[in-house]
Amino acid sequence: MKQKLLDLSHISKSYDDQKILDDMNLYIRENEFLTLLGPSGCGKTTTLRIIGGFEKPDHGSVLFEGRDITDVPPNKRALNTVFQKYALFPHMTVAENIAFGLKIKGKSKAYIDDKIRYALKLVNLEGYENRSPALLSGGQQQRIAIARAIVNEPKVLLLDEPLGALDLKLRQDMQYELIRLKNELGITFIYVTHDQEEALTMSDTIVVMNQGYIQQIGTPEHIYNEPENAFVADFIGDSNIIDGIMLKDHVVEIFGAKFQCVDEGFGSHKPVDVVIRPEDIDLVTPERGTLRGRVTNLIFKGVHYEMEVNANGFEWIVHSTDMVPVGREVGITVDPFDIQIMNKPESEDEEAVQIEE
Amino acid sequence: MKNKRKWLAAPYGIWAAGFIVIPLIIILYYAFVSPETSKFTMSNFAMAFSPENIKSLVLALLLSLISTVICLLLAYPLAVILSKKEVNQSSFIVLVFILPMWMNFLLRTLAWQTLLERNGVINGILAFFHLHRLNLINTPFAIILGMVYNFLPFMVLPIYNVLLKMDPSIVEAAQDLGADTLLVYKKIMVPLSIPGIVSGITMVFIPSMTTFVISDLLGGSKYLLIGNVIEQEFKQTSNWNAGSALSAILMIFIFASMFFLNKYDKDGEGTLF
Amino acid sequence: MKKYINRIYMALILIFMYAPILTMIVLSFNASKTRSRWGGFSLKWYTALFSNTDIMQALYNTLIIALLAAIISTILGTMAAIGIGSMKKKIQSVFSAITNIPMLNGEIVMGISLMLLFILVRMNLGFSTILMSHITFDIPYVILSVMPKIKQYPKSTYEAALDLGASPLQSFFKVVFPDIMPGVLSGFLLAFTMSLDDFVITYFTKGPGIDTLSTKIYSEVRKGIKPEMYALSTLLFVTVFFLLILINQNPAEKEKRVKQYSVIRVICKRVLPAAIIVLIAGGGIYYHGTGGISTKDQIVVYNWGEYIDPDVPKNFEKETGIHVVYEEFETNEIMYPKIQSGAVAYDLVCPSDYMIDKMIQNDLLDKIDWSKIPNASNIGRTYFEKSREFDPYNEYSLPYCWGTLGIIYNKSMVKSPVNSWNILWDPEYKNNILMQDSVRDAFTVALKLAGHSVNSSDPKQLERAEKLLESEKPLVQSYSVDQIRDKMIGGEAALGVTFSGEFLYMQRENPDLDFVLPKEGSNVWIDSWVIPKNAKHKKNAQEFLNYLCRPDVALKNFEYITYATPNTAARELIEDSDIRDNPILFPKDSDLKNSETYRYLGRKTEELYAKLWREVKSS
Repeated sequence: MKQKLLDLSHISKSYDDQKILDDMNLYIRENEFLTLLGPSGCGKTTTLRIIGGFEKPDHGSVLFEGRDITDVPPNKRALNTVFQKYALFPHMTVAENIAFGLKIKGKSKAYIDDKIRYALKLVNLEGYENRSPALLSGGQQQRIAIARAIVNEPKVLLLDEPLGALDLKLRQDMQYELIRLKNELGITFIYVTHDQEEALTMSDTIVVMNQGYIQQIGTPEHIYNEPENAFVADFIGDSNIIDGIMLKDHVVEIFGAKFQCVDEGFGSHKPVDVVIRPEDIDLVTPERGTLRGRVTNLIFKGVHYEMEVNANGFEWIVHSTDMVPVGREVGITVDPFDIQIMNKPESEDEEAVQIEE
Repeated sequence: MKNKRKWLAAPYGIWAAGFIVIPLIIILYYAFVSPETSKFTMSNFAMAFSPENIKSLVLALLLSLISTVICLLLAYPLAVILSKKEVNQSSFIVLVFILPMWMNFLLRTLAWQTLLERNGVINGILAFFHLHRLNLINTPFAIILGMVYNFLPFMVLPIYNVLLKMDPSIVEAAQDLGADTLLVYKKIMVPLSIPGIVSGITMVFIPSMTTFVISDLLGGSKYLLIGNVIEQEFKQTSNWNAGSALSAILMIFIFASMFFLNKYDKDGEGTLF
Repeated sequence: MKKYINRIYMALILIFMYAPILTMIVLSFNASKTRSRWGGFSLKWYTALFSNTDIMQALYNTLIIALLAAIISTILGTMAAIGIGSMKKKIQSVFSAITNIPMLNGEIVMGISLMLLFILVRMNLGFSTILMSHITFDIPYVILSVMPKIKQYPKSTYEAALDLGASPLQSFFKVVFPDIMPGVLSGFLLAFTMSLDDFVITYFTKGPGIDTLSTKIYSEVRKGIKPEMYALSTLLFVTVFFLLILINQNPAEKEKRVKQYSVIRVICKRVLPAAIIVLIAGGGIYYHGTGGISTKDQIVVYNWGEYIDPDVPKNFEKETGIHVVYEEFETNEIMYPKIQSGAVAYDLVCPSDYMIDKMIQNDLLDKIDWSKIPNASNIGRTYFEKSREFDPYNEYSLPYCWGTLGIIYNKSMVKSPVNSWNILWDPEYKNNILMQDSVRDAFTVALKLAGHSVNSSDPKQLERAEKLLESEKPLVQSYSVDQIRDKMIGGEAALGVTFSGEFLYMQRENPDLDFVLPKEGSNVWIDSWVIPKNAKHKKNAQEFLNYLCRPDVALKNFEYITYATPNTAARELIEDSDIRDNPILFPKDSDLKNSETYRYLGRKTEELYAKLWREVKSS
């Protein structure tokens, strides 16, 4: 069982009477790639900055390797940050940027030169020592920012939406780079993003946040396949969320049709939210479907076709590699395993959920 | 449209030629011409380099350098504090600090006379507490005080503006990498605010160096600065040639310092506003 | 913790910045004239301020000049900025350099260069020269404000306007111009502020009769600060303060930008034009135009400071309709170049004896037509005789005031007997001695102490005198002219070198003061009226001289100036016998046997004196 490296307990933070975080609890293990995922304003960046020491929580504490570092200033914490806008020092060369932290630690010149070379090699920018940061491309600046951070051998690396300003191809390349780095260096990555695909690609653990509360913590597969609530289901991947009635264990009724499913313990004749992923819907001939509908829209997306099917007044989104033309009558079937049942929320505000792993 | 647009600057070009360039040439003319024979001569410069004139130049240089340094030391922390204020408050507070600048220059300087005099306000307060009276007025101290007081806002504003434009995450990055406050200043904030510092120094050094009013009002006419000498040559002894020679020397001196100083501000980012 | 340090630091700086201002505000309500004593709360200085037409006129001039200069320079400067922004880099940097020159040169060089320009093209120094000078140094500030806005202006909005069908001109005015408006406005405000506050450049480029607030204050300062100035400062401060609060109405954060624009718009479209109209109309009506040289019947008089009863020119104008334009000078040496250069055409000047000598020798004076001045017979014969030392045939000068140079001292501060110049070298009175900031008067003291003539041109003697003055300097509190009066009255110093005429006034204000003519002898001086050759209103000038010689007018002047009058008819009218026969004011000939009048010593000696005086001042 891996150690708890960082432990945030009962963290609350407000700005101008607006509550950003409310009694948040989270721990992060060694050598973990943990992503804080959520829409703008959900508190993920604030959480990261509290870990980094740039914000102080109103309540609660931050423990690092068992020690309380809540009041420790950022320059004394054994973590390093990769900033969203890179924050490279414009008046220093690339080498001087990278050497900055090492010089403060009093390392020898030989050591520093060595480390610079190593770091630049690691991010595939060998020979860039004497360049001026302002003249580099976005991707290059990003990698220098990463190099500057990791060269200090932190136990934890904090990354604040570092790939946001890059184009798609570069972003994908950098995602693989980051994973490779993590494995090579063996340090914990805490990553903040609003891009769920990014989170799914890179993380060991995803923490889904909304409005200051943790919605769900889990591995990418777990979160994707078994979202805890409507928010998570909606935020991660595409999904069809339908009102259903849980008749009894393993049976749910949607639009009057009975579907077999694998969930139990939701009671009987209880209203529930039903989540079905677009790629899990099979389109068959109308007679063989549990529900019937008509294809109203068809878009080619390269990886698959996306079709909108109107059945019982509900617009189903269906992903399939097989094409069904617009106007065709179809039948909808779903494998019981692919039906996810969730409790309906009791109030408008989603409640925080703590998961024991 | 762009091609024709540049002609909008023509009126100013003409004005500048007539009112800036030509007068300077006139000064140079007087400087190089003898008052009696109206022929080319270097005698004015010889007179200009007399020991007492050199003394006044050196004195002015010394006092203005001290004042500039003091202004810098006072202004920098103030600019840092002001730049960190929230957007709502910041412009108002900045204006509060700048407001005295809008009071008449002479009245401002005069007011210090009132404070510093033998029987002035400061000594009055000291006397009230049975403390020893201080001899403040008509000293170099009073002149430096006058310079600092009058020109401090000109040092604060450019530095403040540069600091405002600075990306705050750079400071955080430095802290993140282990720099304490001192190092953050030394390695990050000061180097990045150099354009503002250069601008501020220019706006303080030049007026201090060339003033004659401050040494008049607060120095009791006991301390002859180069500005006083030039003023006297024109207004009292009517020796325009010597005065022009001195002005020319002063100009060269200032241009040289500015040229040297501006090597630090290649982008010309330092502005007053 | 850090917060408290920050706050304390800010507070300290605030105190530093506002201490003098608050002092002035407090003093403006001080009923007592002196600065160190509180005499009770009073608004009298405010009423005095508003009834002082000179100051009000100066204020009006200042505002008008600043406004006009700001408007013109904003227009020219904005055009220039736009033009420069469209130029190639090389030409841009040339313009940049030229634009920077006024700021880099220091105001004194700017002012002097402009003054030389105006004199060279024979333009009369006056309102227009001030205005042109102001425009010259205002434009760079406008350009500097507008340029950044032009540089950072996003092309895309201009192109969007074109895309939507607007012509380039329309696009410019509807899209670009409003966007650079903040820069234009701040340029305007900056130019206005710079002009409002300017002293040095105005000082050099102004003519007689025209004063801006700064130059007026400067001339007043030399005599001693009038408390009306404090009232003025307070009002200025309060006005600016309120303007600041007005401009800074900042509601919600997000709407700030929008609101700022609308506040600016309101100010632009309504408040500002209204203010301008009110200002021009109101000021013009109330203070009868801009003063200075006008085409009315007038004379231009150049005299020492505080050397005429202020009612006298006014009464003269009432009686004759001739307007008196009055300007003051501090020393003969300041006055002379102005007459010599002919930059300003004065009708009457009141120089001292040796200066008249010099002016006659340099052919700068016109002969007086004595037939037009019958009242000159009221001047005692003996004064005309004395005048022959510098005006051999009494052709050019009419005696006005006369007296001696001596030591005024505060009896409560000086224990030893005062009868010799050497008391000014007594270390006991270190920093308690006031000397005249005038080369001849200062050298008189040293030369007489050394037993030489005040008209010495012997370099050795002069060197000796110079060394004496240098050795005296550490003991000297300050060198000034008109300020000596107020300082001695205020007890700021124990000993001062000044003129016998000052004594009466000073003693009235401070009974501890006494005057003595040192035993080594001193200087006897006569100030007389002369008419420069380039006078434009000679007839009026002579009429004024005749008026001044009337016994009642001379008496009035005497009572105001308190310097001895050569007008024997007026002297007989003095009621108080203590004054009429006062030995200090009207010393007998026997007292004056060691004293001499000044002669003009010729250029070479003059330059020697000047050089030695500079050495003293810079030691």
